[in-house]
Amino acid sequence: MTFQYGLFMFFAALVVYGAVCVITLRNPVHAVLHLVLTFFASAGLWMLLEAEFLAIILVLVYVGAVMVLFLFVVMMLDINVSETREGFVSYVPVGFLIGLVLLLQIRIVVGSEFFGLDQYPLPVPRPADYSNTAELGYLIYTVYVYPFEIAAVILLVAIIAAISLTMRRRPESRKQMPDKQVKVKADERLKLIKMDAVVSVDKKDQGDDV
Amino acid sequence: MVEKIYLAIPLLPLFGAIAAGLFGRYIGRSGAHWITILSVLGSFVLSTIVIKHIIFDHASVYNEAIYIWMISDGIRFEIGFLIDELTALMIGIVTFVSLMVHIYTIGYMRDDPGYQRFFSYIALFTFSMLMLVMSNNFLQLFFGWEAVGLASYLLIGFWHQRETAILANLKAFLINRVGDFGFLLGIAVIFAYANSLDYAEVFAKAENLSLQTINIFAGSEWNVITMICILLFIGAMGKSAQFPLHVWLPDSMEGPTPISALIHAATMVTAGIFMVARMSPLYELSETALNFILMIGSITALFMGLLGLIQYDIKRVVAYSTLSQLGYMTVALGASAYGAAIFHLMTHAFFKALLFLAAGSVIIAMHHEQDMRKMGGLKKYMPITHWTSLIGCLALIGFPLFSGFFSKDSIIGAVQYSDLSAANTAYMALLAGVFVTALYSFRMYFMVFHTRDRMDEHTREYLTETSWVVTMPLVLLAIPSIFSGFIFEPIVFGEFFSRSIHVADSHNVLNELGSTFEGIQGFVMHAFSGPVTYLAFAGVGVAYWIYVIKPQFAVDMQHRFNLIYKFMDNKYYIDHLYINVFSVAGRAIGKVLWKLGDNVVIDGFIVNGSARAMGWLSNVLRHLQTGYLYHYAFAMIAGMIALISMFVIAVNI
Amino acid sequence: MNMSDFALIVPEIFVLTMASVILVIDAFLHSDRREIFYLLALTTLFGAIILTWVNHFDGRALGFNGTFVVDTMADVLKFVIYLVTAAIFVYSRQYLKARDLFKSEFYILGLFAVLGMMILISAHSMLTVYLGLELMSLSLYSMVAFNRNNVLSSEAAMKYFVLGGFASGVLLYGMSLVYGVSGTLDLAGVSEYLAAQQSFSAPILLGMVFIIVALAFKLGAVPFHMWVPDIYHGSSSVVTAFISTSAKLAVFGFSMRLLIEGMGIMQDSWRDILIILSVLSLLIGNIVAIAQTNIKRMLAYSTISHVGFILLGFIAANPEGYSAAMFYTVTYAITGAAAFGIVILLSREGFEADNIDDYKGLNYRNSWYAFLMLLVMFSMAGVPPMVGFYAKLLVLKAVIGQGMYWLAIVAVLLSVVGAFYYLRVIKVMYFDGAEDRNKIIVGSGVHAVLSSNALLALLLGLFPGTLISLCLTAIS
Repeated sequence: MTFQYGLFMFFAALVVYGAVCVITLRNPVHAVLHLVLTFFASAGLWMLLEAEFLAIILVLVYVGAVMVLFLFVVMMLDINVSETREGFVSYVPVGFLIGLVLLLQIRIVVGSEFFGLDQYPLPVPRPADYSNTAELGYLIYTVYVYPFEIAAVILLVAIIAAISLTMRRRPESRKQMPDKQVKVKADERLKLIKMDAVVSVDKKDQGDDV
Repeated sequence: MVEKIYLAIPLLPLFGAIAAGLFGRYIGRSGAHWITILSVLGSFVLSTIVIKHIIFDHASVYNEAIYIWMISDGIRFEIGFLIDELTALMIGIVTFVSLMVHIYTIGYMRDDPGYQRFFSYIALFTFSMLMLVMSNNFLQLFFGWEAVGLASYLLIGFWHQRETAILANLKAFLINRVGDFGFLLGIAVIFAYANSLDYAEVFAKAENLSLQTINIFAGSEWNVITMICILLFIGAMGKSAQFPLHVWLPDSMEGPTPISALIHAATMVTAGIFMVARMSPLYELSETALNFILMIGSITALFMGLLGLIQYDIKRVVAYSTLSQLGYMTVALGASAYGAAIFHLMTHAFFKALLFLAAGSVIIAMHHEQDMRKMGGLKKYMPITHWTSLIGCLALIGFPLFSGFFSKDSIIGAVQYSDLSAANTAYMALLAGVFVTALYSFRMYFMVFHTRDRMDEHTREYLTETSWVVTMPLVLLAIPSIFSGFIFEPIVFGEFFSRSIHVADSHNVLNELGSTFEGIQGFVMHAFSGPVTYLAFAGVGVAYWIYVIKPQFAVDMQHRFNLIYKFMDNKYYIDHLYINVFSVAGRAIGKVLWKLGDNVVIDGFIVNGSARAMGWLSNVLRHLQTGYLYHYAFAMIAGMIALISMFVIAVNI
Repeated sequence: MNMSDFALIVPEIFVLTMASVILVIDAFLHSDRREIFYLLALTTLFGAIILTWVNHFDGRALGFNGTFVVDTMADVLKFVIYLVTAAIFVYSRQYLKARDLFKSEFYILGLFAVLGMMILISAHSMLTVYLGLELMSLSLYSMVAFNRNNVLSSEAAMKYFVLGGFASGVLLYGMSLVYGVSGTLDLAGVSEYLAAQQSFSAPILLGMVFIIVALAFKLGAVPFHMWVPDIYHGSSSVVTAFISTSAKLAVFGFSMRLLIEGMGIMQDSWRDILIILSVLSLLIGNIVAIAQTNIKRMLAYSTISHVGFILLGFIAANPEGYSAAMFYTVTYAITGAAAFGIVILLSREGFEADNIDDYKGLNYRNSWYAFLMLLVMFSMAGVPPMVGFYAKLLVLKAVIGQGMYWLAIVAVLLSVVGAFYYLRVIKVMYFDGAEDRNKIIVGSGVHAVLSSNALLALLLGLFPGTLISLCLTAIS
């Protein structure tokens, strides 16, 4: 049992623990935090695979940006936990059974006889100056440029969809109108008018204003 | 380029039919007749180009698929054209006569409310017939065959307010269905044994087919080719109104007169004759079938002519004469004299169209009176109609030098040379037919145009010659009725049809007849040495004697031989047989099957029972769709696991 | 990769560019002038038609390191997708306006969905298959949700999204298994790997099952069909039309690429699964449709049964069968567009003509549209000479050619059952009295497009030869 193996077992256990907690914990904030843990552990696994760049990106993007945003959303929305859990218990036995069967079946197939170490050649250790990032970049912009561009389009569609589905014009909302603001002239901003001094009838109102 | 011309010939009338039929309301009456006449004129002009191209320039035969409809098990279903001399001649006849009929219709149908509809139908009729004759495969032939039947159904029943017209078109349709059934069976046998619907491919396999036999009932072996030929000929019997499937044709007179001319002269009835000629490579291989055709043809030629003698309706006389002349053509086919048959078809198309349109002209002048007993002496009122009718009659009886003379004489001569066992009987029947033809034709001619006036005062006052749209086609048709006979030598004896018609050497009667041929003068002179011409003269003479000199004689004869008269007046009781025996029996069987089979077993048990079961099942199953997302997801996962289990278990055990 | 690769994807680039252009214009244009987006969207589709036409060549070309492929099948399917989508866009205008949904986003998302379909159809690598599918699905999810003030529509979008996500996950899992064993994403590579195997190992079989499950979900085959009726019913009729026609064509291309090009060698393994899916689809689709009172739900079940027929073509597992399936899909898309076109047309402000009772006495209200609906229903029921008859005939012939008579008999019997609910629509239109006496107002452009769309079902039935031979060349 090498050090690497020990590390792998540690991270793998963390991933499984975190993932189970995400779907079982009652408090959504806790669930999100466990998801963060899962990502961290996954990043560790990727490090072990010498995929340093991807591991760092996972931490930066998912943990640093997405999950934080997610935490904000979860905290801001007041989700009634008990309501969403309704009926959960009554489906547990069936769900558990189905899950177990699926797990067994997959275990039969994805066993060491097909994906074990002896089925694959050992990866060649790369020299220390080997740049994972450069290799990835090279592939993305040459061999995989077409899928890469499609991925970009998918993100664009996601943005369009999100905006078009959620943006509503509320009458009470205020916004800037740059075109009108730029075109505005001095005399439109401020108008001096002369008027006679008016004495208010209602003393009490006046007093409030002051 | 030629392909476009060929395609345009049938499509122009179709376009006219669609325009007049679907948009008749928008284009108006004159719009309808202009558009259809111009379209038929267009295809007539194109047909003459094709005739020049194929017949005079001897261009190569065109046999191509225009459109592949579908391919099934390697068998192609196509729309294609076969253009050779036979087709070229046929499209020429069809478009010419159709054009004449179109023009004539303007006058005949002037006051009819269904004016546009009529033009649409006749253009459709023309389209169907052109598709039929231009086809290069059995599928399209069948399409044209049925389309012609449909158009005739629509046209015979054109005046659908009349009870008799409805009965007549129903009759035409039903009788034709009987024939079509045979025809379809014939095509089915071809399809089954030759594995193709293409003419050329089937003909190439014909020799091979003639060696095979088909077992219909236990113990009776039929030669395949005989089977095919007879079945196809049954179809021809329906369309070309051969005994005993002829009963629809006289009744079809219920339709407007232009359509009678179109049906009788150029389109429908010639379809059967054309088809047999087209199938000559098959028929030549089966003497049984040829004998069968000879017999049917000679029965029709003689006995239908006899019925013409006792008719008083002017159109019916012409109708029976058509039956009889079709019998002549059929006999010619049976005797392998295909060239003579087609030639007679052509001359007949001209003079029969002429006779019909002339009869129509008389009918117009007589204010839709068709009974010859109320006519007489029309000669002085309608000179053009009179003279053209006379030309038509002379051509019909085969008066020397008129077109019918050449075609009819060559048929009779050819039958004389035939070695088939039925040829002698046929020859005798045809000779007798010549006399009968002359007798009824001139009976009609004398009764209508000579003798004293028998119409009422009112009709006589307004009796004048009809307008130019009516008489012009008459004159235009009279010309080929006289002169078209002179081109008979190349068509009948020459190599004219050598590319489209195949005649076995042992049957080549026209060749034998042609070997004695020494120019037209010789042919005419030769006619005077045989009985044919004298029989025709005798017929005219007898007609003159009976109907002009001694009109009382006919009435006396009618009383004296009342039994025979009644027998003939009832058209040999064939209609009675059909109506009282076949149709009654058929309906009885149908009724039993309906009550017992349909109502109880099928409707009660199978249809309603299964429908009820399905409705119940459907209502149960729809409740599976609960609308809950997790139910759906669950169903998907369960389905997936079931599918996986199939393999995981299979692999691991 | 070199520059000539870009020549292959000119239509894709064009659609993407135009969609982005519309997006940018939208930011600067006043909301009164939305007609411009509609016209631009149609222009985009017609431009794509022209570009695909010009770009077409006989044969096959790979691009971008084998991730992209152009062949006749791709061009034909794309061509039909443009046409059907354009027709649906035309139908949509009045409908969307009446519901205050006539916005540029609808057409932009539609164009992106079309782009996804194009990528999916032309995919030659599992990576591009997946990305194309996601692009298409994502656009469709948001189009379903587009009518966001409608509860039904939001619910449908939610279901579609969750179940679709599930199916994508299953697909990815299947692909990763296949990749794990074969070591390649390229479909030709997968095919080569499979050809070299003597027997198929458990992981590859499992991967195949997962991929088929995803395919079945996208096609809407039983038991992965549960989303179909709810989504068809819940989304606005325009989106339903889009999902059931254009998207079906794309999913057909998806199946052809993955199942036939990639895993065609495993046909003996996947055939049994497809037989189960096909028979179940025919059974459930045809029988449950009878009990429906909502025409959109009825058409949803009818789609399920048509999917059963399409699968029969795959089951035959030869070029004849595949081309029959393609013919079926193409003609279904055309008739489906016409059917939904009429449903869209009869709807108006505040009223969805989606109950079968809404069609009562249509003949008396407008005999032409009743006639068009009659043609479409006849075609779907497979009555000759409509094109649906040929589609069914070809598929059945392919199955019989493989000696699977019982399958053909089951299919025929169930489609006879299916004829019932199509005929019921006709009966309602022609023999029942009209309850709704509102006048049907239709623009002349819509009238012309809808009429030619429905008449195409008749015309293709009379002259199916060209399309049949096109499908044959596309597959071989």
